[in-house]
Amino acid sequence: MFRIAATALILLSSTAIPAFAEGWTYTGGDGKTVTLDAAPVRIIASQDAAAGLIPLGIRPVGIYADSAVADAKALQGLDLTGIEIIGQTWGEVDIEKAAALQPDIIIGEYWPLDTTWSGGDEVVAALSPLAPITGPIQGDSILTLIEDYEALAESLGADLSAPEIAGQKATFETSLDGFKAAVAAKPDLTALAVWAGPDALYVAATPGSAELMDFANWGLKLIDPEVADDRGYWETLSWENADKYQPDLILVDNRSASTMETALAQPTWTLMKAAEAGQVTDWPAFWLRNYAVYAAELDKLTAAITAADAELAP
Amino acid sequence: MAVGATHSTTRTARLTLGLLALIVMLCAVGLLSLTTGARAIPVENVWAALTAYDPSATEHRIIWDLRLPRTVAGLLVGAALGLAGSVLQGATRNPLADPSILGIHAGASLFVVLGISLFGLAQLSQYVWLAFAGAGAAMFVVYSVASLGREGATPVKLALAGAAITALLHAIINAILLTSPRTLDELRFWQVGSLAGRDMTIVLQVAPFLAAGAVLAFATARLLDGLAMGDDVARALGQRVGLSRGLAGLAAVILAGGSTAAAGPIAFVGLTVPHVARAITGPSYRWILPYSMLLAPILLLGSDVIGRVIAPPGEVQVGIVTAFLGAPFFIALVRRRKLATL
Repeated sequence: MFRIAATALILLSSTAIPAFAEGWTYTGGDGKTVTLDAAPVRIIASQDAAAGLIPLGIRPVGIYADSAVADAKALQGLDLTGIEIIGQTWGEVDIEKAAALQPDIIIGEYWPLDTTWSGGDEVVAALSPLAPITGPIQGDSILTLIEDYEALAESLGADLSAPEIAGQKATFETSLDGFKAAVAAKPDLTALAVWAGPDALYVAATPGSAELMDFANWGLKLIDPEVADDRGYWETLSWENADKYQPDLILVDNRSASTMETALAQPTWTLMKAAEAGQVTDWPAFWLRNYAVYAAELDKLTAAITAADAELAP
Repeated sequence: MAVGATHSTTRTARLTLGLLALIVMLCAVGLLSLTTGARAIPVENVWAALTAYDPSATEHRIIWDLRLPRTVAGLLVGAALGLAGSVLQGATRNPLADPSILGIHAGASLFVVLGISLFGLAQLSQYVWLAFAGAGAAMFVVYSVASLGREGATPVKLALAGAAITALLHAIINAILLTSPRTLDELRFWQVGSLAGRDMTIVLQVAPFLAAGAVLAFATARLLDGLAMGDDVARALGQRVGLSRGLAGLAAVILAGGSTAAAGPIAFVGLTVPHVARAITGPSYRWILPYSMLLAPILLLGSDVIGRVIAPPGEVQVGIVTAFLGAPFFIALVRRRKLATL
């Protein structure tokens, strides 16, 4: 009985495919255009691409993550049931599992500074023989990145007007309006984005992170470090010099909860007046990929900005 | 040891004078460590911070909360590393012995890695006890393995067992790190070895162990002199070779475990310093031990001060500086002296 039904389905689908056979093309972040006979169905996605696509209704068959899936901040809160995890270490994938998934396409993010895709050259070398690799570019805005995912998802058959998907976008727009209003209400407020290590305080340069670029575009005054070493991403400050910059609000990298613990444990953390006054909040560093989490993180920021005393720093 | 009485007296006087000179040097390096840092603080403000502490003054807080703890940590850890290296070289009669060769660093690292990956620990104060337990466990395993067989734990078997266990532990550590980049991230800082970020609580947690280890180390000085003559001679002189080696090993574990717990694995100090001490004092451990105990913190704190000022506004970790300073120094030493004379 089931076999007959399955056969019927296969027959149906094989007759259905030619009806859509105008093909599928997509120009990836590397500028190269991928052309397939039909829109790809079996997708292997990097963790970030998965975080961008799943909320838009596109479910990959396999995901490769940069670290243990439980630690992958981008994947938090997403339903991953039925999705094969083919990698949990940066630069590594299980090629046998990947091949068994018979992917039509590999979707990652293109990193223009490194001129490679998510996971790095080795992962690309391992996966690209199975299917073409493409995806959006890691630019200077998370919002643009999400919009790129929207366009990609739509070409893959997603219905962006579905109530849940449209609702998440609407929630985000409300959050964004709230953020812009809070920033506009405090034009003098300055913010500093940091990562706290036990050996030093790392101050982030705005151009090094797409979400910081968004915040700046939406009116938040971010203090940029004078010297950004490490390819322009960070300035390293000895904890003795933790007060080199005096912001009104400190944003602490929240990829791992231990960063905030480390910051609070440093005796000179409170040399920054904002830290002493408790004007500290999360910086969703490098992991935002969809409207729902972006809205939640923006709300946190908005609350912190609203509560902050903008006259704190000189 | 047929040495003339007058010769022996002048020699003792000279070596005592040398010790006093080292104490003066150590005080100088300690002062340098308090006055030098990534942030320029005038000496009079350092003095004011020490004598009339004002918690609202930024510079006073930096002196008390950052530089004083790391200076004290540098003194204790350095002294412990110097003693541990000397005791290990004496007990194993291996000129290349240091805490890494008997699996002490690897054991400490493994336990810290397990703590991070299994229990999500992230604070240095939590690593202290793990590192201690790991150092002790590794040394116990190494000693047990080396004790198998008729002759017991001979120097060669200790070194072989230590190297084998270290290799095994590193394989396990790497296996965990490869599958858990987060653990690697947390560990990276601890594993280089640094005096920065160690607050007074960590120093105070470890201090009693280091004191006990130092007392035990000095108590074994005579036994080490006996072992230096070879196991057979020592035995003929009525020394219980196994017990001596066991006591010395215990002292080394406490000292090396404690220092590793407080500052992470720091390379080359425990290896290099005993050779410098021996070059000054001659073969007697009654002199080598106190010289090592004073020379090592001078090297360690000096390296830390250099690390603080060479990369402003950041810092370089002391473990990297000691490796840079220690390696060429050690090569020079090896080329100049016949190490086999140990």
